[in-house]
Order: sequence, then C-alpha cells, then structure tokens
Amino acid sequence: MSFRKMMACALMVGASMFGAAASAGAGEYDGVTVRIMTRPGKVIAQRLIDRGVEFTAATGAKVEVAEVPFAELFQKIQTDWSTGTNSVDVGVFAAGWAIELAGAGLLEDMTPYVAKDTKLDEADIAPYFRAFQKIGGKNMLLMVDGDFQMVYYRKDVLEANGLQPPKTWDDYLAVAKAIHGKDMNGDGEADYGSCIFKKRNAQSYFAIQTVAAGAVQTQGTTQGFHFDPDTMKPMVNNEAWKAAFELYKETGKYGPPEELNFDIGDTRGLFKAGRCGLLIEWGDPGPMQIEEDAAAIKGKLFAVSALGWNKVLDRATGKLVPVTKENAPYSIDGVNYAPFAAFGGWAGAINAKSDPKTKEAAYAFLSYMNQAAQSNVDVTIGWTGYNAYRNSQLDNPDLWIKAGFPADLAENYLGAVKGALNNPNMASDFTLPGAQQYSGVVLDTELARYLAGEITVDEALANIEAGWEQITEDFGRDKQIEFYKLSLGVSNK
Amino acid sequence: MSAPAKYDLSRRSLFERLFEPPRIGAMAPATKVIVYTVLGLWTLFVVFPIYWVVVTSFKLPQHVNEGPVYIPFVDYMPSLHAWQALLVTDFGDTLRSYINSFVVSIGATVLCIIIGSMAAYALARMQYKPKLGIILTFVAVLLAALVVTILAGVDWKLTMAAALAVFFFLARALGKHFKATLGNGDILFWIISQRILPPIVVIIPIYLMFQQVGLIDTHLGLILAYTVGNLPIAVWLMYDFFSGLPIELEESAQLDGATRFGIFWEIVLPLTKPGLAATTLLVLILNWNEYLMAVFLSTSKAQTMPILVAAMNAGDRGILWWTMCVVIVVMILPVIAMAVILQRFIAKGVLLGAVKG
Amino acid sequence: MASVDTIAARPDLQGPAGAMKETWPEWFDRHSRHIFIWPAVLMILVFAIFPTIASVIIALSRIRFAGGGFQVRFVGLQNFARQFVGNDQIHFLGRFNQMSALGWIVSLAVTAAMVWWFVKFFKGGFNLVGFLGRVITAGMIIGLTLMFSGTLLSGNAWGTLGTTLFYVFVGCSLQFLIGLGLAFLCSMPIRGKSFFRVVFFIPLMITPLGVGYAFRMIADTNKGPIQPFWKWVGLENFSWAADPWAARIFIIVGDSWQWIPFIFVVMLAALESIPRDHVEAANVDGASSWQIFREITWPQVIPIAATVMLIRVIEAFKIVDLPNIMTSGGPGIATESMTLHAVFAWRANDLGQSAAVAYLLLFVTVVICASFFNYVVLKQLRKS
Repeated sequence: MSFRKMMACALMVGASMFGAAASAGAGEYDGVTVRIMTRPGKVIAQRLIDRGVEFTAATGAKVEVAEVPFAELFQKIQTDWSTGTNSVDVGVFAAGWAIELAGAGLLEDMTPYVAKDTKLDEADIAPYFRAFQKIGGKNMLLMVDGDFQMVYYRKDVLEANGLQPPKTWDDYLAVAKAIHGKDMNGDGEADYGSCIFKKRNAQSYFAIQTVAAGAVQTQGTTQGFHFDPDTMKPMVNNEAWKAAFELYKETGKYGPPEELNFDIGDTRGLFKAGRCGLLIEWGDPGPMQIEEDAAAIKGKLFAVSALGWNKVLDRATGKLVPVTKENAPYSIDGVNYAPFAAFGGWAGAINAKSDPKTKEAAYAFLSYMNQAAQSNVDVTIGWTGYNAYRNSQLDNPDLWIKAGFPADLAENYLGAVKGALNNPNMASDFTLPGAQQYSGVVLDTELARYLAGEITVDEALANIEAGWEQITEDFGRDKQIEFYKLSLGVSNK
Repeated sequence: MSAPAKYDLSRRSLFERLFEPPRIGAMAPATKVIVYTVLGLWTLFVVFPIYWVVVTSFKLPQHVNEGPVYIPFVDYMPSLHAWQALLVTDFGDTLRSYINSFVVSIGATVLCIIIGSMAAYALARMQYKPKLGIILTFVAVLLAALVVTILAGVDWKLTMAAALAVFFFLARALGKHFKATLGNGDILFWIISQRILPPIVVIIPIYLMFQQVGLIDTHLGLILAYTVGNLPIAVWLMYDFFSGLPIELEESAQLDGATRFGIFWEIVLPLTKPGLAATTLLVLILNWNEYLMAVFLSTSKAQTMPILVAAMNAGDRGILWWTMCVVIVVMILPVIAMAVILQRFIAKGVLLGAVKG
Repeated sequence: MASVDTIAARPDLQGPAGAMKETWPEWFDRHSRHIFIWPAVLMILVFAIFPTIASVIIALSRIRFAGGGFQVRFVGLQNFARQFVGNDQIHFLGRFNQMSALGWIVSLAVTAAMVWWFVKFFKGGFNLVGFLGRVITAGMIIGLTLMFSGTLLSGNAWGTLGTTLFYVFVGCSLQFLIGLGLAFLCSMPIRGKSFFRVVFFIPLMITPLGVGYAFRMIADTNKGPIQPFWKWVGLENFSWAADPWAARIFIIVGDSWQWIPFIFVVMLAALESIPRDHVEAANVDGASSWQIFREITWPQVIPIAATVMLIRVIEAFKIVDLPNIMTSGGPGIATESMTLHAVFAWRANDLGQSAAVAYLLLFVTVVICASFFNYVVLKQLRKS
C-alpha cells in the first residue's frame, strides 16, 4: 500500500516536473472538480483515485471519487441524474446499465470528444468492446475494464490425476467429480472440485448464463440468447436452459457445502488458498494468482475461454438437438461455444447536465484512464479489478511477464482471453432497460430458489418467463423490442 | 415464633446445607453455583463475538481465509495492516465519516430529547382536546393535494399552498360542527405508533422531499430524519418518567409564581435525571448506528460510519473482514465512552430514588 | 401567574393605561400549551405522516424513471393483489398445495375459538368500536392461521410473511424468557452485579450491520471459530446457510445476541425496584422461590414487561439488516423478512411493489400490536 502511495507521489512529481503527458494541457482545468461515483473498495475505485492524482497534477482538475455500496450504485446514480440533484458528474458502473440511462437522455454524447481525441486509439480496443461503448451509434461510454467469464482449472491437479482440461460442461462435471475430495494445497484437508459463487443477490446469475449461453446461441452475437428479437418472448423455458440449470445444480455436489452462501469474495478466498479445482470466473484470477496472498496457486491456475455443449437448442421445437455445422456454424469439432460477456465491464459515463467545462474535464479523465499508456499497466495488476480489453494488452506477453506471470501462464491466459474476445459467437449480457431486473432480480431469485430446493426446475423456468414478461410489459413491449435489437447490434464481425 | 427448621443451622442435613439458604437474603451454595455458572456462560456468549472482532482486526488475509486462529502471538502474529489502512492511508475518509457520525448523532439526539421531553411533559400535565373532524379534514385535504401532485404532475409548491389555504378555510367554516374530540391518550398513542412505521415506507418520499429543498447529503437533512425516527421513543419514555413524578411539587411552584417553562427546566427535569440520561443514551445509540436512512439520504459528503462498515463489503473483492473489524471497533469506542459518562447519572439517580423512597 | 399586588408594585411592567405589558417569559408561558407540543407534532406531520400518505399513492401506482423525472401510472390495487393472488403469492404467502389433515384441524379449531370469542363479546353488550376491533383482529388471526396451515402444516414452504412472523414470535419469546431469566439471576444477592450489568449491555451498542457481519464471520463453518467444534460434532458437510430452518435459527441467534441486553436491562431495573421487605417476609414465612416469584414479583413487573415486549415486538417486525447480511435472504427466500422483500423490490426499481409490501407490513404490525396491547396487556393490568 505504501508502495502505491510512493508510486503516485513519484508520478505526480514527475508529471509536474516534465509538464504532463496527459491529453490536456497543464492547468487547463484549474478550478474544475470532477465528481465520480462508483463502487467501494480498492477494486475499481482506488485506481480512479490514484490516476486522479496524476490527472490533477497534469491538468489542474480535481478528481473526487465517492463510493457507494455496489447494490445501491445504479439506484443512486439514476436517482441523482433523473431527479436533477446532479451531485455526480461521472458514473463508473456496469456498461450494461447505460442503455437505460441513455434512453432517458441522461448521458452526455461523447462522439464529438472522441473525434477530437488523438490519444484514445479506438482501433486498439477489441471490436466487441469498441462497439459496446456505443449506444445507437453514438459514443456514450468509455471502458476502463472488459468483463467476460471464463473457466479456470488447476493445471497441476488435473495433470496429477491424468485429466484433460474440460471442453464441454459435461466434461466440467466429470473433472469436478474426479478431483473432488483430493488435497489440492498440501495441507492434508480434502478440497473441492468446483467452486462457484451461488449466493443469492451476488453474482450467481452471471455464472448460470455462462453455462447456458453455449446451448442456446449458435448464430453469432446478433442472435442473442434471452429473447426472441421480434416479439421479446423470453427464450428461457426450454430444454437448453433446463439442462443448464440442472448441470449448475449438479456442480454443487462437488463443491463446498456452503456454496449457496458464497459470493465472489468467498470463492476468491478459497481458490487463493488453493482449495478449488475448477472455477467459473472473470478475468481477475489470472493476475490475482501472482499476488502475495495467493502463493499456494501461483502459476497453476490456467484458463479456458469458454466451455461448450454438444447439443444445442432447436428454437422451433424448444428441444436439444446434436450439434451440426448447419445449426451451429461456429462450432468446433461438434461443440458449440459462446463466451458470455458477463457484466460487460466497468465503464464511465458523463452526466449530460453537468456544466460544459466539467464535462470536458470528465471526458479528458476518462480518456486518460482508457488510453493504452495507463490501461495496459492497470490490467496487469490484479487488485485493480481492471481486465484486458485492448488488443495491445493481449498481443504483448512481455507486459504480463514483467508483472510477474510465468511465461506459460501468460501464453495460456492471453490466449484464452483473446480467444473469447475474438469469438464471433460471443454472447452479450442484458443491455436494455430493466437489465438489472431481468437478470439480477428475476433470474437470480428463481435460480436461488431452485438451488435451495424450494421449487422445481420447470417451475423456476416458468416463473422466470412470467417475470420477464411482466418487466417487458412494464417498460412497454415495443420499446423493449427496439432496445433489444439495438443491443444485439453489437458484434465481433 | 422460633425460626423454621431450615434456618436452624445446627440441625441441617447435607441436602439442606446445599440447597437451602443459610440465612434470609443470602443464597444456598448450590444455587450460587448455578447462578454464577449461568451468568458466566452468558458472559462468554456475549464477550466471544466481541473478542473475535477485535482479534480479527489484527489479522492478515491468510489468517482469516485459511481457517480459524484464535490467540494473537500464540496462533498467529498480529499485524497492524488493517489499522494502518483505515487510520493512516484512508485517514481522510475515515475521519470524515467519523466527524459526520458525531455531528449527526449528537445533533439529532439533542434535538430529539428537547422536542420529545417538551411534548411528553405537555401530554403528562396539560389537557388537549383536538377535534376529530379537523384531523380528518386535514388528512383528506393532504391526500387530495398529494394525488394532484404525484399523479397529475402539478408543481408541489402550488398544491401545498392551495392545500393549506383550503384546509384553513374548511377548518374555520366547519369547525363549529365537529363535536367529537380526542384526548391526550390518543395523541400519545399516535406519536408512539409512528415507531411502528417501517422506515422503508417513508424513505422514498422523504428523499424526494429533501431533494426538492436541497437537503440531500447534508448534515441538517440527516439530523431531521434521525430526529423524527426516534421522537416516538423519546416521548414514550419521558412520558413514563414525567407521569411518575408527584404533581404537588409543581403545583406549589406554580402558586409561587413560577412559569411553566421554569418549572419544567428547574424542577421537573432535574428530578428525572436518571430517566433523561437513560433515554438520551438509548436515542444516541440508535442514531449512531442508523444505516438505512444514511444510505438513502447521503451520497458522499455526509456519509456516516455505518456506511463505512457496509463499504468494506467490496462485492467482488470479498469482504475485507480485517478492515471491517477495525471500523466496528472504532465505532463502538465513543458509544462506550458515552455510556460510561451517562451511567454515572443513571446510577446516582437510582441511589437518590432509593434513599427517597 | 403574577398576582395583582405584584403588578401594582411594578410600574415598569405597566404599559400605557396601566395594563400589564407582557414580558417574553410571560408570552411564552401563556402559549406554553402550544409551544411545548407543536414542534413534535409538526415534525411528525411533515416527516412521517406526509411521506406515509405519499407512499400510499406510490403503492397504488407503477413508477418508472424516465427523462428528467418520473412517469407515474395509477394501477389501483394491482401491487397488493400481486402479493396475494398474483405472481408474488409464493414469494409473499407461500405455496399452497394440498392442505393436510393437520392443517384443516388447526384452521377449524382456531375459527371455532374466534367464533366463541365473538359470542362472549356479544353477551357482554355491544359497542361499535369494540366490535370493529374484534372483527379486524379475528380476521387477521384466521387469515394467518389459514396461511400457516396451508403452508407449514401441509409440508410446504412459506413466504416472507411467515418468515417475519417467525422472527417476531419465536425470536421475541426466546428473548423475553432469556432476558427475564438473566435479570432474575442478576437481581439475586450476588457479587459483581455492576460488572454483569455493563458487560451484558455492550451488544446493544454495536451497529446492527456490524453484528450481522460479525455473526456471519463467526458462523462460517469453513473459516470461523466454531469450525473445530463443527467438525467434532460431525456436521462438517452441513451448511447452516443452505438449510432454510437452520438459517432462520441462526438469524434468531444473532438477533437475540443483540436484543436480549435490552430486555435484561429493563427487567433488571424493574426487579430491583420491588421492595425487598415483601420478599423477605415471604421467605421468613417459608414460601419457596417459585411461589415468591409467581405471587409477589411477577404481578409487579407485568406492566414493565408488557411495555418492553411491545417495544421489542415493534422493532422485531422491522428486522432487515441481519437477514440481508448473513444470508441475503437465502437460501432461496427462506430468511427474507418483509422489510427485506421491500428493499429488494426497491433495488429493482419496483417502487410500487416496495411500497405495497411495506404497507402490508405496517398493517400486520399495527393489528398484531394493537390486539396484543388491548386484549392481553390491558386485561392483565386490570386483573392485577
């Protein structure tokens, strides 16, 4: 921690001595304060604070970061901007939430700023995220972090048991079963085959979509896997989702007994202590394993971009059919993959009603965070919570090796990330109005009740369908169809 | 009459020696053992979580994640990293939350006790007879105004002004026809029943109200909200204490020409010092620990300590147990100090009461 | 207040034409009736009544954030209907499959008891207020019994209403018994009374959020301090957080840890205010401790016990922090209280539903507390 402070001080001194390397001129934004609101903790927020100090030295604009518990973040920003309180200039939040805010006219259109920005290097941003930053063709967001889920496995444990890394979700179960109960960190205690954060109101609803996507989406990102794009009828009450739900519940047999009460903090504590064989996680475990408190697993956690299914959904009948090149053009060796861009990523958006000078300074800061010079360093540091989203970050293993990655891990990790980012069948998270309600409330609640044995899988799926329909009605079906089609326009092609 | 056999120490069997008290007002040995054991067990139950919190504030992440370690220096080497993080690195944030908590809690407590005791005294000593009709008219006019504001989107300043005018007009015109009245007991019940209201019911309208007048994220806003939240308790408790006082003292003071306020300030309040101290302590604790209203009504400048606790649950980094325990420990110290200070008043008063009665 | 002689002797107090000029304190005094009570009434009107009525309107509409404000759509009782017969019935009330035989028996028994209660009332003469009060109370009791029989007694799961009532009735009874017991033990002639008094009071001073997190830490069967004990008892693979009833019980444990001190402190004060001579005289007369407690001690503490339990029950209905932090309302919705239900709905931007659930909680709380006060407490007070 003191090292970070020293770094920040050094940068500040350096920047002020050499007259700033930021995109704005020195002293340009004197007297301007940019008020940012984001989630608490070192993750995401701390980096904004650190870089904010550099930015202040370079441009004179003060950067204030207010932290609000994650569960209340969207609420507070939306209420602040839509009721005209305007105490926040920049919100750094889940990119998917922006559609609702943009639809209400609350976000500043950044396209003119981007056009004038020479340092941003938009082309370097991976195509999926580059398109993600746009809503309706206009730049509304700047990413600071790119999120999607992958599967991790303990290379040493699998090798010791003569197992190959899983390719399909059935493989996942088989591997988990085989290694469950073995001692994976040498402390004499039985450890767990698979660790997934299944707690309600946490991140469980992302993991289930990672599992289901590959069985439902086959024709590329523009197909989507939640709704029928023409009618907004939920596509969740069918055999594919049912198989996904059942598999998700089955993994519980090979996991920690407390799994239903584990959120991501708990599972991360577990795998860092070396007690998990398989994980469904975001990009963080890659850099996390080289931190001091992860000595037990350093260099041992390898990644796979996505697991697939060898049966996919036939949308006409609602049944599972074996994979063929016709019904799944992107399948490989009879397995259909669909990496799920869970959460989308943390991105910054600017309040349309802030005053013009502040908006300029806010854009300059977000651009500063996004530029390769800063971002490429940040994504290699695990605790920042920033994951790679620029091609320059992924093409250069030296960056990562310098940060402490063993060479083979760097190759594997970057390969997995690139594989996902460039996959034409990447599945998008909800990016339409009510996103949080569709996934975080309805899907999450019914999933939790199914896992707890309160309801059967058929009831859960039926409830989700009913719940989603209600939300669609609430927001207006026609508008939702419009927004959904807009959000699916994001693609890797 | 000679003492019953059980008190005749010369003729006691072993059973009686164990289970009968040796003299009046004392306890039998077996009873003593049971009582101290039970109290001891409960003390353990109370103290252990607190001990665990204090000890965890000195732990490193691996001491928490790898399994329980119990005794510092024996099971693990304690580390000051969490304390450093909170009190050195993030000192600005921590200090700000601390000061906010202090200002808001003490401000709200003072306001609440003053307003609450005055109202409680009034209800205990003066007669009120509000007319039921007037009250119903008020509610009806208010409801109409709110419907117009919320559903028809009319500006609230307009509807509120109109509502007040309409109400006064109606009150004047119809006042004579209303006969049914309510009494002190009803007013008291109404005030106390506000406590039953779950805060979640009122928090959104209050947020919107405050936002219209610019009270969001200010000390004043929080103080007002907290005061109203705890007013029922203050009124309830002080009413009990006031009605327990003999009325003769006040009547004789009145005859001597003292003003109402003088009686209240110089005679009644000093007599209820222990009750006042106890109520103040309770309201202070409730204000210090309030979370829901702080979350809704503040964004960054007026954040209080409980929000700092919640912020330690960093979501996908996991709960930073070590720093959270530091915050909890730091939060409880002023409360203990306050309790110790006020405890003297409570104890002294009890003694006084015992001597008097 | 001042007598006639004083006025005459104080020319400085006399205004023109000899009439008395009022000083500040006297003006204050004349209006003291209003000055004393109006601040409290005003504050409650503005910050409690006003928002409550506004909330009624929110509960009767569906609200969406759009553009620079809100779009409010009036929908009548739809939000409420959803809790009872709509989508949310299983969430709020519970699942109603087949009612078991036991369920039928209990429902019929309770209904019969209510009818008998009404008959008794009618025999004693009719008055409108009493009748209405009894109708509401009986209605609620029968309704709750039906819900209870249809869900729990028939082997089904119940919803947030049932969970809240469980926390209130089971939790508060436990807290009362233990608190009273501890107070009784402490009121005996023991040494270190003030030590116990101080130590037992500490849990009340910790913020409920902190208590929730502390207990979550402690109850963790993987990393928490009770892990060795858990393993020794062979429950290594049992996770309390994955079992609905175990989870509910753990929440009650945490809640009791924090609130028993409150009951303890008040009851101890009550027990200590009982004059010792009665007790000692009874001792001399050879009465057993149990008899002393029942005949002398208990009747004197009933009023205070009733007050403190009323306060405790009112607070217990609003429980939210502990279930939120310890289990997030899980597993499934097993530990979700009604306030938590409303908070989740608010987080999902469903303001209408949030207000509706909160109002249902208000209604249940008021009816149960008022009934408890009117029919149980007052009766006891009248008896003694």
